[in-house]
Amino acid sequence: MSATLEVVDLVREYRMGDEVVQALKGVSFTVEQSEYVAIVGPSGCGKSTLLNLLGVIDRPTSGRVSIAGERVDSLSDARATEFRLRRIGFVFQRFYLMQALTARENVELPLAEAGQAGSERRDRALELLDYVGLRKRERHRPSQLSGGEQQRVAIARALANRPALLLADEPTGELDARTGAEMIALFERLNADGTTIVVVTHDEVLARAAKRVIHMRDGLIVGDERTR
Amino acid sequence: MNVLLALLPILLTLHATSAQESSRAAEPRSRSIAIDSRLAADASLRIGDRVVIAAAPGEQGDTVVVSGIVQRRADPAEIARGEYRIRTHLGQLQSLLGYGDRVDRFAVATRGPSATTDAVARINAAAFGFRAHRSADVAVETSQTFAVVSRFHRAIGVITIVASAIFLLCIMLLKVDERRRDVAALRLMGISAPTIVRSVVLEASAIAVLGSLVGVGVGLAASWIVNRHYQGVYRTPLRFSLVTGDIVLLAVMLSLVLGIAAGWLAARRLVRTPPLALFGR
Amino acid sequence: MIGTLAFASLVRHRARTLLAILGVAVSSAMLLDMVMLSSGMRESFRGLLLSQGFQLRLSPKGTLPFDTEATIRDADSLVATLRARPGVQAVSPVLGGQLHFPLASGAVTAAALGIEPAVQGDYELVAGRNPSSANEIVANDALLRAVGRSVGDTVRAAAGYDAQLRALSGERLLHIVGRVRFIYLALDQRAAALPITTLRAMNGSELDGRASVAMVRLRAGVDVERERAALERLLPRVTVISTNEALKQVDERLSYFRQLAVILGAVSLVVGFLLVTTLVTVSVNERIGEIAVMRAIGVRRWRIVAQIVLEAAAIMLVAAPLGLALGLVTARYLNSILARFPGLPERIDFFLFQPSAAWTALGLLAACGVLAGVYPSWRGASLPIATTMRQEAVG
Repeated sequence: MSATLEVVDLVREYRMGDEVVQALKGVSFTVEQSEYVAIVGPSGCGKSTLLNLLGVIDRPTSGRVSIAGERVDSLSDARATEFRLRRIGFVFQRFYLMQALTARENVELPLAEAGQAGSERRDRALELLDYVGLRKRERHRPSQLSGGEQQRVAIARALANRPALLLADEPTGELDARTGAEMIALFERLNADGTTIVVVTHDEVLARAAKRVIHMRDGLIVGDERTR
Repeated sequence: MNVLLALLPILLTLHATSAQESSRAAEPRSRSIAIDSRLAADASLRIGDRVVIAAAPGEQGDTVVVSGIVQRRADPAEIARGEYRIRTHLGQLQSLLGYGDRVDRFAVATRGPSATTDAVARINAAAFGFRAHRSADVAVETSQTFAVVSRFHRAIGVITIVASAIFLLCIMLLKVDERRRDVAALRLMGISAPTIVRSVVLEASAIAVLGSLVGVGVGLAASWIVNRHYQGVYRTPLRFSLVTGDIVLLAVMLSLVLGIAAGWLAARRLVRTPPLALFGR
Repeated sequence: MIGTLAFASLVRHRARTLLAILGVAVSSAMLLDMVMLSSGMRESFRGLLLSQGFQLRLSPKGTLPFDTEATIRDADSLVATLRARPGVQAVSPVLGGQLHFPLASGAVTAAALGIEPAVQGDYELVAGRNPSSANEIVANDALLRAVGRSVGDTVRAAAGYDAQLRALSGERLLHIVGRVRFIYLALDQRAAALPITTLRAMNGSELDGRASVAMVRLRAGVDVERERAALERLLPRVTVISTNEALKQVDERLSYFRQLAVILGAVSLVVGFLLVTTLVTVSVNERIGEIAVMRAIGVRRWRIVAQIVLEAAAIMLVAAPLGLALGLVTARYLNSILARFPGLPERIDFFLFQPSAAWTALGLLAACGVLAGVYPSWRGASLPIATTMRQEAVG
């Protein structure tokens, strides 16, 4: 079976005035289907930059990224958008739900963009909300939900189009310990149900829950261990 | 007399010969006329040209020499009129028209306002078949058209001011709203609401002052353009647009007041919102 | 979904949205008024000129009809010449003058039109009948009120009056047979019409055989401009003016209003454009993080632009009928000011409402609004996603 995610010699540089900052200095690794990988490292080590490149929301300076057999490092903007919509699910630290929409409508958003009809969309959204345990809160707006609930809606949104890869950037960063533990349990369930997950985190508990941990420092991978 | 002046295009038979061509059989000495600049331009007449003027087309008329070209008066009542005007000696025109010893009107210059009143009264008391009017009264009557235009301009001005006030308030609200997070951070730091309002109003005042100056400049330029354009279109020295000190003062004061009021209203609205709400929490 | 987001965004900032709607409404009202002004006079005047079906007007050479006191000499032979032409259906000679009506308190002066009642095109009969004999007259309400008479009464009138000598000349006793509304005169202008031969006779030899204007109605199918040119060649003592020519003259004299309309209309458009641009820019700047997230989860750029442009379009949609109503009210008010031009025919409107004008104005504004929304929203949706999200997170 081909790897879900393949990264080869990935480099990302930023120009800050006259200086060139190398956020990634040549990173290579693969992630197989249904793997659960945590990427850890100190602040500024390049892990969020790496996640952005994997999520096709940024372009590498050089190197190669392939997801589900498709090369994504040099897609056009339109093609990259399409790819993000259908093949990647992204969960952010700060949830980033649309404040004006209800929980259900937030989950429906990518489904609508993918062209799904109204009733199908609605059913799928309710199914996902049910999965994350928020069916009863479908009509609530984000301002009416707790942090943990908002993050769960965000996860449901990320799963809407059945992505090949679920990426999460510090998903427990804004949550208290108890809620964070609930989130970790949800991720475990997702992975058990077959979702390939790559998580970037400072949270040791979350990192321990992953089956594989990649350590980063100064833009390079310095360790890659299987924990289970 | 007015009839004659109005009929000039057909009356003026253009035998425009140069002064040097008078080597024909000796002609009686021609009287002179003055023509308006519009006629001179349209008929390509110059000083010294001979023309024939008559009371009706085909009549023999009188040969006259163009001795002067007169600039049209800056009279609003004349700007839209297309007719040409000439000035002849009174006796010549009376003779040409068969008018006899008659005139349409005559003008009297007096030595001051009290003399005018006295003159009007004495002339009307003794007048036989005519009346005396003050020039100012005649001007009022004949400028009714421009009184209407004036009122129209004033109405447009009022509408523009109201519209501007709404736009200004809207834009000021938007721009001040853009800085809601900055304001929230300041409030959380302990900066008082009046201080914030003062700073916004100060900024609005500065913008209003700058805007007024630019506006005055634009207004002066536009006024110049309007005058140049319409003076060319109507071929008149009349000034259509006049920017006076009073007008500038009014415009600047109005824009200052509107600008400051808009800034104050927008700032007040912002500081009344709790800081955390401004952060969107 | 896009509609929901657009609507929610507008509702979230009610004060801002309402002010923007008001601003756009005022803009569209002004624009509508200027569009109405730019074409209103012309169309109104055209309607007036053609109301009685006369396509040509003859006046003394170099003048416009009733522009001066000049008259056409030998008008009767001129009229006969015109009537003899195969293309001419009817000729209405008109002589302009004044009549003085002596009352106990002084004299009332009124404009007088000498006409041929059978072919006249200067008034509409409201009550009574046209004059059918020499000493009959019709008058408008303003004159009847001033002299205190009504249809059926007789009234003394004179062609000449000397205020100093209080002496009348050309005096006659006239029988009022009809109440009329004059088409080309101002509503409050006192006026009467009587047979042209009577008015000439009352003025003595001065106006013998003269007319101020001759109006010509051509037969169906006759080329108006060709006939006009032919008459100009045939009759060198007169100027022949067609409706189109008259309209050109009016355009020239009233070009100020048309140009004012263009300038103010353009200013309204620019201001409306600026308002919407500012609104959209601020709205986009506020939601830059949200927009980046939408892009991150796969929402296409054009859909984001469409959502934001939809907000602008929604404001336009609500503001448009408001602007239309406001525009019609202000047009009425402005028209009432301009209607007081001395001597302006009652039926001339400066602001004439035509549905096409409304559509033009609204279409222009809608196009402006959409354009105003496109650029800032496209710019916002094109920002680098990762950088924007990081900045928004830090902010």
